Formats: sequence, structure tokens, C-alpha cells
Amino acid sequence: MRERFLRKLIHGTLPLLVWAAHFAGSYVLVAAQCSPAGFAPGSPHRLPLALMTIVALAICAALAWRARRTLGGGDEHTALLDWAAALTALLAFAGIAWTSVPLWFVETCA
Amino acid sequence: MTTMTKPAALPSSLPRPPDELARLEKAWRTPSGLRFLTTVNNTNIGLLYIGTALLFFLLAGILGLMMRTQLAVPDNTLLSAGSYNQIFTMHGTVMMFLFAIPIVEALAVYLLPNMLGARDLPFPRLSAYAYWAYAIGGLAFFCTLFFGLAPDGGWFMYPPLTGKQYSPGLNADFWLLGIGFIEISAIAGAIELIVGILFTRAPGMTLSRMPVYAWAMLVVAVMIVFAFPAIIAGTALLEMERAFDWPFFIAERGGDPILWQHLFWFFGHPEVYIIFLPAAGMVSTMIPTIAGTPLVGRRAIIGALVAVCFFSFALWAHHMFTAGLGLMTMSFVSAASMAVAVPTAIQVFGWIATLWRGKITMTAPALFLAGFMFIFVLGGLTGVMVAVLPFDWQAHDTYFIVAHLHYVLVGGMVFPVFAALYYWLPLIKGQRLSERVAKWAFWLMFGGFNIAFFPMHVTGLLGMPRRVYTYPAEMGWDGLNMASTVGAFVLAAGVLLFLFDAVRTLRRPQQAVGNPWNASTLEWLPSEDYATRSIPHVRSADPLWDQPGLAEQVEAGQHYLPGTVSGGRETIATSPIAGKPLYLLVLPDDSWLPLVAAAGTAGFFLLLTVKMNLTAWACGIAAIVATVTWLWGSDTTPPISEARVSDTLVLPVGARGSASHSWWATVIMLVVDATIFASFVFAYIHISMRLEVCPPPSASLPALRWPMMSGALLAAGSGAMLWAARSIGKRRLPWLALAATGCAVAAFLVDLAGYGLAGLTPRSQAWSATIAALVSYQGLHVIVLALAGPYLAARAWSGRLTPSSRATLDNTALIWHYTTLQGVALALAVHLMPLLME
Repeated sequence: MRERFLRKLIHGTLPLLVWAAHFAGSYVLVAAQCSPAGFAPGSPHRLPLALMTIVALAICAALAWRARRTLGGGDEHTALLDWAAALTALLAFAGIAWTSVPLWFVETCA
Repeated sequence: MTTMTKPAALPSSLPRPPDELARLEKAWRTPSGLRFLTTVNNTNIGLLYIGTALLFFLLAGILGLMMRTQLAVPDNTLLSAGSYNQIFTMHGTVMMFLFAIPIVEALAVYLLPNMLGARDLPFPRLSAYAYWAYAIGGLAFFCTLFFGLAPDGGWFMYPPLTGKQYSPGLNADFWLLGIGFIEISAIAGAIELIVGILFTRAPGMTLSRMPVYAWAMLVVAVMIVFAFPAIIAGTALLEMERAFDWPFFIAERGGDPILWQHLFWFFGHPEVYIIFLPAAGMVSTMIPTIAGTPLVGRRAIIGALVAVCFFSFALWAHHMFTAGLGLMTMSFVSAASMAVAVPTAIQVFGWIATLWRGKITMTAPALFLAGFMFIFVLGGLTGVMVAVLPFDWQAHDTYFIVAHLHYVLVGGMVFPVFAALYYWLPLIKGQRLSERVAKWAFWLMFGGFNIAFFPMHVTGLLGMPRRVYTYPAEMGWDGLNMASTVGAFVLAAGVLLFLFDAVRTLRRPQQAVGNPWNASTLEWLPSEDYATRSIPHVRSADPLWDQPGLAEQVEAGQHYLPGTVSGGRETIATSPIAGKPLYLLVLPDDSWLPLVAAAGTAGFFLLLTVKMNLTAWACGIAAIVATVTWLWGSDTTPPISEARVSDTLVLPVGARGSASHSWWATVIMLVVDATIFASFVFAYIHISMRLEVCPPPSASLPALRWPMMSGALLAAGSGAMLWAARSIGKRRLPWLALAATGCAVAAFLVDLAGYGLAGLTPRSQAWSATIAALVSYQGLHVIVLALAGPYLAARAWSGRLTPSSRATLDNTALIWHYTTLQGVALALAVHLMPLLME
């Protein structure tokens, strides 16, 4: 497609895709470690989850930084998908940070 | 200082040719009498769809009143426990599957063509098929109540209650086959909406200028594509368990009832937003009109819609907080459940700010929107309460949840839909509903709703569980229940008053529609069967406010496509982002075929359930014949190769490959397909992870040479199809299609032989059953290819595959390659899982 529709669509929703990947990764990692087959003493290990969270937050912060001009107000010519990328970078950052709060105080599977 | 700018020239000049309008009217004329049933015009189908959905709303409402009558006093014997089970199951099921989802799609199918400035959406026959499948299947499904055969396991049908052991009758089968079938109809509607919104907007209507309602429907349709496959996979698994004794959900045979809950709620929670977001889109469209000012934070609201779409997929497990999931996983879901309040609040604040900035006229839609805000915000607040784990453990399965879900759904969806009915009903005959009656209807509905459902919060906190058919007097719940019952009847009186006024208004003579609310969106342009006389050039997000004289220009034929170029039905396909005209899209005419195909499909599923096999197969064959006839007549060489759609713009007729709307529709269908497959893979992984040893004792996998041989054959088939796609007009084309068919069938036979030799017995335990489900799903695809290959060959031999009519070939090739990939993914998933678990 000459408009590069898919590329622009992914650009506009990339922060939310990062949020989705982080959520799915966290859920699957913990569910696998807490399943009958995967359970071991000390499960779930929180270090890989914390690392994953830091990487996801860093990506969202970088995306928000890249979109700082749009966040600063933009103008009437700013494309909608650029606005979406900027706004969702903030939303995804907050979402990832908030979703990871349980890592601080939940230590066990049960 | 002001700068004077010369107004841009209009696309088509006056005067128009004398017979232009007559030809346009002839091409689009709606058939009368019995032949009205052949109509495929989305505006007509939309009206039928809305009417049918409202009928189901009334029927399910009557069931709700029966429940409230039963619960009005303690120890009531009006209904037996068994009847009550059927009634509450049907109330929930019909409201969710036959009213809520259909009415949001129905309103979209009715409103969007005009709102986008299209003559029609790109697949009108598909819409007609989806409607008839829903109407016929839904009515037959509802009639099971009269024979005591209605499902009785609750609207979310949890096994083991709904397994064969505890539900041996046909009741559960009706739910599984009936609802599964209606889901397919909803997906067909979603494909129509996505492709329609992306490809048939008026020239100049960029994504930024697209109405927020269209944005909401685009987001919702995408959500349907990813959410509904989970329930389709779930219903298929449960029906296979019931029919073939494959124990997916039977714990003592290695299955897991929690698997159903995951699959159901992975659909069920996004479903709440699938219902709410269209309503939010309608609210975002109505509020600027009511306030007389553009929507505040329009771009933020669109961003929030997209964010809700993503967040809503992480919330499924909050319906399972008492199912024994791990504490940390539940905490993630709890946090995500609270996070979704942020984008939802962005929308609510946008609406409040718009109302604040504008000047509100308290018309009927405004009243219902105010009611929506009040009720929905309360429902949202209790939503945040039940997102908190300890509170949910207390409130789960009590009337607190019944109160919460009704505040969210009635507040978030029913009130906006009534506002929408008041707002858009004048489009039908130009008559507005009575403002005086509307005030009565609103206060009866608003008051009745709160009297009915607010006390349920307290009843729930006092411990009354959901779904009990009666309760003893000493529990102290009688007063609250009586109040709820009185409220329910007051609510019903409000709905009846609305209906009375609607019927009275629709019986009045037709008058000019005009723009009664001074709205800014295109559906208020003068419109006939062919939609607008010419397709407007859009330069603003609020075209009717910012483009003075647009209605007169469009009516005079001064914009694009003021007539019919080919003599038939057509619209302009535009690019998805900038809304630039790409090609003339020729649309199909009215036909009996969608109705026959839908009736045949519904008959096949429903009659098979009651074991009327011969008639069922007759219906199935009728459906196949109608569908093949329908397909055979489409994708023909266009009557012209180029079309002049304005004074200066000449467009090609039709498009090929990825520029074609049908190519995109096929891709979206394959995404649905892949998501169903992923759900089956999830079932396999979930069941595997419950094992101590994988494969379990007494089960084994075929040697690697079998999947490798099958994969090679599938790849050979895809290779043949690739070659076929380059062989248009060559004699080898049909032979390549047949060779590809042979490869696909042989690949599947190799798979079957491999699993047979390995001794896979699906009845022995759930692990083998999940593999059998995956293999069966691949088998279903091979059956489709076995029909598609010879069909392609027949089209080639009859001269119907040409460079300008090659969509059938391109789209079949896509399905072919997908099946190859799915076969390889299946083998990888099945063989890698035991290695990962070692």
C-alpha cells in the first residue's frame, strides 16, 4: 500500500504493543513458574520480571521522548497517528509501571 | 486582517445529464413486496437488524421480569428451579449475544455508509448473510424455551456443570451450536465494518477527520476479530467433549474446567468493551451536536479508544479471581483492571468538557445521555471496587455483581442506545419522537432502573447469591427484592412507552429529513436508496458545520460520482489514511442467495442438534449450493475498465492484490482463523502444563519423519499455488490447482497416519484430545482447500480467471499459504512442548 498503512499503524500503536508484550510476558512467565510442571522452590523468580519491566519502561520512555514535540502541543498538521503514538507512550508507561506494582510485594505463587 | 480565499472548485459541474438521476435510482431501487427479502443494501439490512435486535431486547426483558416476579417474595413457587435456570440463562445469553452485540453492529451497518459518505459498504451480501443467519438462528434458539430445551447452565456455561455428566440433555448443545453460529455472523459483520471504514470513506475524509463513531466501530471490529475466536474455540472444545467424549474439561481425565473459563473470559471481557465502545462512539457524536460545539479532546478520545482496546484484553482473568489462579498473576490482572479506568476517564472528561463549553439543549437524546453518565460512572466505580482482590472474594457471585454488571451494561450501553434511537430515528421518515413522551419514558426508565438495581448492591453485601430461584424469609432480603421487582416493572413501563411512541412516529407520513439537530456529520445529508446523490469531498472533521452549502451541492450532484458509471451499484474506494480516491468499487445487486445460504446454515446446525439428520443435511447442501452460486457469480470481469467519477478524475474499475478490498477481507478472516488456532494451541499448552510428565503415560507422538513429510507436501502445495498465481491465462493453471489440492489432502493423510501409528486416542486423556482438536482444525482447512482447488480449476476452464477477475485466485492462494503455515505451526507446537517441559 502506497500510504504504508500498516507501518504507520504500528508506529501509532507501538507503545501499546510494548504494554501488551510486557503484560503477556509477565503473566505467562509467572503462570509457567507456578504450574505443576514448572514449580520450584522460590517460584516465581522476580528478577527476570523486574528486568523485563525495566526494558519495557525504557522503551516507552524513549518513545515518549521521541514524541516530545507532539506532547508539547504539536500543531494542526500533526498526523493523528503521531498524536496516538505520543499519547499512548504516556499511557503505556503508566500502565506498565502500575501493572508491575505487585512485583514489589507479592513473593509467592499461592 | 483577514485573507480572502477563493472557494475550491467543486468536483462535478452543472448541469448534470438529464437521465443521470433516473439511472442511479434504478440501480439502487429497493425491491417491494416479498422481494424486499432479497435486499442487500446495508441501510435496509441495518433497519431489519435494529428491529430484530430490539425484538430480542424485549423478549429478554420479559424473561428478566419473570425472574423479578419470582424473586419478589420469599419462598415463591411461581417458577420451578429448573425453569428459573433456563430463564436466567436465556436472559443473559439473549441480552448479550442476540441484543447487545447485534444492535451495535446493526446501528453501524445502518449509519456508517451515510456517515462515511459511501453509497454502501463493500460486502453488502455478506451483511445480508450475517443478518439472516442471526435472525433465523436467534429466533430458533429462543424458541427452545417453549420446549423446555433452553440452555440452563448460566450465560457463561461453566463446565463441569455443562459437561455431559451433569447436563445430559440437548439444552447445552443448543447454546454451543447456536451461539457459536451467531458468533460467526458477528465476525462477518466485523470484517465488513473494518474494510468499509478503511476503504469506502468519502474522498478527503482522512483518519483525522473520520467521525469518532467510525473510530469506535473500527476499534470494536478489530476487538471482535481477536476476542471472538476464543469463544468459538471454547464452544468447539466443549461440544467435542459432549459429542465425542474428548475430556478437555474433565479434571479426573487430565482436563481442566479452568481452561473453559480462560477461553470464555478472553472473549467475555473484551466483549464488555465491544458493547461499550460503540456506545461511547455514539456519545462522542451526539454530545457535540447537543452542546453545539466540537468535541473537546477529540484526538485524546480517539487515542483512549485505541488504548481501551488493548487494555481490555488483559482483564479476562478478573472474572476468575476466585478460581484459584496464582496470587501474582491475579495481582497483575487486578492492576490492569484499574488501569483501564484511565483511558475510559479520558473519554468521560472529554464529554463533560464539551458539555461545559457548549450550550446544552435538554432534548430527549440529552436526557438519556445524562442518564448514561450518571449510571455508567456508578457502574465504573463499583468496577474499580471489584477489581480489588479481597473485595471481589467477598462480593463474587452475589447480587453485588448483578448490580455492578447491570450498571455498566445498561448505563454504558442501553441508555446511549436509547439516546441514539431518539437522535437518529428522524433519519427514517423525517419525524422526531415526542419530547413530552420522551421525558416520561426517560424518568420511568431512569427511576425504574435505579430502584431495581441499586438495592441489589445491598442485597449482595447481605450475602444473597446470584442465580438462586428463591430464598427463605428469615434471610432479611425480602424488602430489597420487592423494591427491585417494582423498579424492574417501572423500567419496563418506560421501555413500552418509548416503543409506543416509536411505532406512532413511524406510522406518520414521510417528510423531508433535513438536519433536525444541526449535526455536523454526513448522515444528515439528503439521502435516498443510493445514499447521497453525489459523494461529498470532505475538508473537515465537522463537514456540515464547516462546509456551508454542502447539502445543496451534494443534492445537485456537484461532488463525486453523481450517477452510475457502469449502470449498476458502485461506490468509490479510497485509501485508508488520506482518503484519496483509488478505484471504483462495483457492488453486487440484490439476491435471494444470502438468505438461502443463511437459512440453510442455520437449519443445518439447529436440526443436527435435534438429530433430524436428513433434513439437516438437506439444509447444509442448500447452503453450500447457494454459497457456491453466489461466489461463482462474483469476481467477474468489470463491464468497463475506467470510470469518470468527476469532471477531472478518472479511476480504474476494481483493483487487484493488496490494493483490493477483498484481499484485505481475506487477510482479516485469516487473522480470525489464526486466533482460533492460537486458542487451540493455548488449550494444548494449558493442559500440558498441568502434567507431571509430558507426554503423559500411555500417550506418544509420531516419529519426526511424519510431520516432516506432511510439511514437505504442504509446502509443495503452496509452491503449486504460487506458480498458479503466475499462470493466469495459461493451460497449466487448473492442473496446478488440482495438484496443490492433491498435495494438501496427501499431507493431511500423512498426519493422520502418523498420529494413528503413534496410538493417539483422544478419549483416553485431555492431552491427546487437545492434539486431536488441533489436527481436526487442520483437517477442516484441508476440506476447504479440497473444495477450493477444483473450484479454481472449474473457474479457469470456464474462462472466469482473467487478469481483471483474479481475486478468487489471489484470495484462495492466501488461504492456501495460511493452511501450510498452520500445518507447520501445529507440528512445531505439538513436538516442542514436551521438549520444553523436560
